[in-house]
Amino acid sequence: MLLLPILALLSIPFCIAASAQSAHEKLVKLAASNNGVIKLDENTYNLITSPNRNWSASIHFTALDPRRRCAPCKEFDPAFNAVAKAWTKVPVEDRDSHFFATVDFDNAMGVFQKLGLQTAPVVHIHPATEGPHRPASGRTTPIIYDFANGFDAGPLAEQLSQFTPVPIPYKTPINWPRIGTTVGVLLIIASGIRAFLPVLRSRWVWAAGIVLTSLVMTSGFMFVRIRGMPPSGANGQWIAAGFQNQFGQEVHAVAFIYGLLAASFLMLTLITPYQTNPSRQRLQVYLWSAVILVMFSVLVSLFRVKNRGYPFKLLL
Amino acid sequence: MPLAYSLPSNLSPATVTNTSSLLRIIALSLISGAAIASRLFAVINFESIIHEFDPWFNYRATRVLAEKGFYEFWNWFDPTAWYPLGRVVGGTIYPGLMATSGVIYNVLHALHLPVDIRNICVLLAPGFSALTAWSTYMFTKEMKDESAGLLAAAFIGIAPGYISRSVAGSYDNEAIAIFLLMFTFYCWIKALKTGSAFFGTLTALFYFYMVAAWGGYAFITNMIPLHALALVLMGRFSSRLYVAYSSWYAIGTLASMQVPFVGFQPVRTSEHMAALGVFGLLQIVAFAELVRAHVSSKQFQSILYGSVIAIAVLGALAFGGLTYKGWIAPWTGRFYSLWDTGYAKKYIPIIASVSEHQPTAWPSFFMDLQFLIFLFPAGVVLCFRELRDEHVFVIIYAVVASYFAGVMVRLMLTLTPVVCVAAAVAFSSLLDTYLDPAEPAVSEAAALSAEADIAADSPASTSAAGTGAAASGTSKKAKKAASADSSSSGFGSGLAAAFSNKSDKSRGIFGLDTRSLVIANALGMLLFFVLHCTYVTQHIIDDFREAYYWLRQNTPKDAVVMSWWDYGYQIAGMADRPTLVDNNTWNNTHIATVGKAMSSSEEVAYPILRKHDVDYVLVIFGGLIGYSGDDINKFLWMVRIAQGVWPDEIQEPNYFTQKGEYRIDDAAPPAMKNSLMYKMSYYRFADLFGGNQAIDRVRGQQVPKTGPTLDHLEEAFTSENWIVRIYQVKKEDPLGRDLKSANAFEQGKKRKKSKPLVRRKAVV
Repeated sequence: MLLLPILALLSIPFCIAASAQSAHEKLVKLAASNNGVIKLDENTYNLITSPNRNWSASIHFTALDPRRRCAPCKEFDPAFNAVAKAWTKVPVEDRDSHFFATVDFDNAMGVFQKLGLQTAPVVHIHPATEGPHRPASGRTTPIIYDFANGFDAGPLAEQLSQFTPVPIPYKTPINWPRIGTTVGVLLIIASGIRAFLPVLRSRWVWAAGIVLTSLVMTSGFMFVRIRGMPPSGANGQWIAAGFQNQFGQEVHAVAFIYGLLAASFLMLTLITPYQTNPSRQRLQVYLWSAVILVMFSVLVSLFRVKNRGYPFKLLL
Repeated sequence: MPLAYSLPSNLSPATVTNTSSLLRIIALSLISGAAIASRLFAVINFESIIHEFDPWFNYRATRVLAEKGFYEFWNWFDPTAWYPLGRVVGGTIYPGLMATSGVIYNVLHALHLPVDIRNICVLLAPGFSALTAWSTYMFTKEMKDESAGLLAAAFIGIAPGYISRSVAGSYDNEAIAIFLLMFTFYCWIKALKTGSAFFGTLTALFYFYMVAAWGGYAFITNMIPLHALALVLMGRFSSRLYVAYSSWYAIGTLASMQVPFVGFQPVRTSEHMAALGVFGLLQIVAFAELVRAHVSSKQFQSILYGSVIAIAVLGALAFGGLTYKGWIAPWTGRFYSLWDTGYAKKYIPIIASVSEHQPTAWPSFFMDLQFLIFLFPAGVVLCFRELRDEHVFVIIYAVVASYFAGVMVRLMLTLTPVVCVAAAVAFSSLLDTYLDPAEPAVSEAAALSAEADIAADSPASTSAAGTGAAASGTSKKAKKAASADSSSSGFGSGLAAAFSNKSDKSRGIFGLDTRSLVIANALGMLLFFVLHCTYVTQHIIDDFREAYYWLRQNTPKDAVVMSWWDYGYQIAGMADRPTLVDNNTWNNTHIATVGKAMSSSEEVAYPILRKHDVDYVLVIFGGLIGYSGDDINKFLWMVRIAQGVWPDEIQEPNYFTQKGEYRIDDAAPPAMKNSLMYKMSYYRFADLFGGNQAIDRVRGQQVPKTGPTLDHLEEAFTSENWIVRIYQVKKEDPLGRDLKSANAFEQGKKRKKSKPLVRRKAVV
């Protein structure tokens, strides 16, 4: 009487093993058919993330359909595919223990809903739950890839390599077009050096370049660049609140004010004394002094916006 | 020549020179006095004490040097830093600062002046700022004249950009480095001008002193070669340049290699390659000049072409080979992070996490330099107008320093001197022009046209053509003069005259009102600058001192304090307690351990704290008064550094909201809310607002009304402005309960488990 159920019970592990075996083969086949990236739907998603798996997987959630208007998805997709492709060059036994898969929103909305994903792209790394590649920490819940280093393939390969049995042999491809343009530009400059020479030899060209550079640098240009600040904030405001903060447009405004003030001083020092007509000279002196006073007041009031505790003010 | 105002004419030239030099000396000593005095606010307000982070370590090292001598100092092992690892000090620091104080200490004691080493350390920075003012004066004097020099000295004496790094008690390498920087540059300019090997050697000696004192010496190592290279490219190679550069490079490099921390870097790393390359180039150019003097020009041409190609190929091959073999140029991380701060973020988070390595927004420039910042471009233009060899130096310095100051807040310090010099040149040119009493002759044409204008009763419409037309009625000679004059009064030609640095015969200002207007304007700006500097210098927050004093008074001497590494030296020096990590960042894993403890939940962090014998945890919190350099702003770095070592347990994305924002309000993600750092920062913060909405002034976000609770730590101390908060780590519960339930029991809460209740019901 009890023999049959016991037999059935005993056979369960074998069945599971067999199904796991077949699931693994299926995944290997799917991966091989598409450059190492498995295109997932809901069924295959459940298959690849089945709770007892002796493989690990990097799953990339994206929304490539133009209707979804996901610009970052388009940007990231080639990087992921390139890394997956690099993985196909690994020896077979290692290769088949880690899979790269892509879930597109339009093919598997259910998966997105189940995981509560509201943004894309996202990369989940599922460690193996059994077998030799099970992580030593025993952690089997998915790890979310950190996009802090941007959408490039290089950092992706580097970070994923921590979870693959062997490091991903990804090499950044040589950017031939860029090298080509650089060489071309250099050649053009070299051939046109005779035409450029008078310009290069003119001290005022250099003066303009250097003064502009220092104006822009002292107006926080590098801050905007390094921090990737937007030109202006939401709802059209262009002055960022806070002392250690600024928007892109502030660089223009501040550099302009600095430039105008410096120019006024130069006018007073260099140009006005050469004016040989007393009344016109007087007019110029008054004009430039007024410009200095007004622009300096503007500058100070701008600074008061940034630093609210600043106690001084001029005209404004 | 007519005068706008009369000058006394009965003075002999000797009297004038003597008086002016006396006035110069008085002015310079007053400037030095002002420079020192304006840095003493802290000492007068509080006490003679060293503050901030690094200075404490420097002070402790100096004390060892003064008490036990130089050799003991060299071999000093500091067991309280990096508890429990300790740190070898001698080989890992720039000893220039300590050696300076040590020398001063010994000299004073040899003179039987028993000055405490602490007072020497506290007052070293103000003292050297007076020397900086003097060396800036010397430097600017070479650029323009004495009056510009005095202005530059005054500017640098009180410019907040420099004061902030050299107030009394800020005993840091920068305190003496800026003086050394300016004096080395002055010696270099002097050597270049005179072509004297003596000044070249002096440059090298001060360069050596700089190398021993500050890691920023690489700035000099690259500025001087850049200047020399620019001069060669401009066709200004001269034997003066050759002598000055060769003597500086040869002696300076050999001397700099004597500093143990620098060692063989000058011939190996990329920062020093420019200097070596230019040294080689100068030898070649000098040799070419020699050959040119001895062979015919045609032979010389072919020799030149051949040798240039051969040398270029050989040099490139050698450089490539040496790099390939790994003997030279491991392009260091610091070097890359200067050009691309993104690099640092990716590969060496520890460098990028320092608040001093952040890029500079424009308000910082204005705060530190005020009106100098817009006089600075004007001064650069004036340098272009003269363009002697030394002006090329200022120009290069200006563009390089403004770039680096934009990339890194810390390097504002190297920008400040050149801004002061350039601004002083511009300002003194303005004053020269408007103080000069000589009035130019009114051009006949202008006078005529003015008459015509009065006659016609029309507004002054005196275009160049108009003046020409008006002048046409006069005699031929007058016409010629008028056309010459009108050409110089037209705007475009005026510009040409202004920039071409021609004779100043027709140059000058009419009238007294114009003069007084411009001078009043200029003096007003100077006054405003002084007010600004005073305002900036007065604002020093004192929470740190208060908190460290508390630690020193209220905790046992062997209590271990954990904090983020920025505060390590300060705790060690000011509170005299062992720390887990400090500002010398040589052990990344150790720092990551602290990062992990700070970014995990209490339950995870508690065993870590206990294992490391931590008794107190210290956090810096700026939310109440808007101090932006606090730990919550540095928190992501702790997470990042911890993630680098434990990628499984700590993940940066968990500390952002779903939308990828960094929030501390209700929308903060659970990992953030449960982290030890968040809890310690906002513990009881909402209570402070008495039922009103609590606002974090740094993040500008509303803090949840029910704040976090702490079970494994208890609040021990919070400073007046809440900047420093100290928590005591509880010991294990004596009854063996976990601390959470023990806490709940003490608060009289019933256990939440429902099992007993059910049982009771079953009984009923």
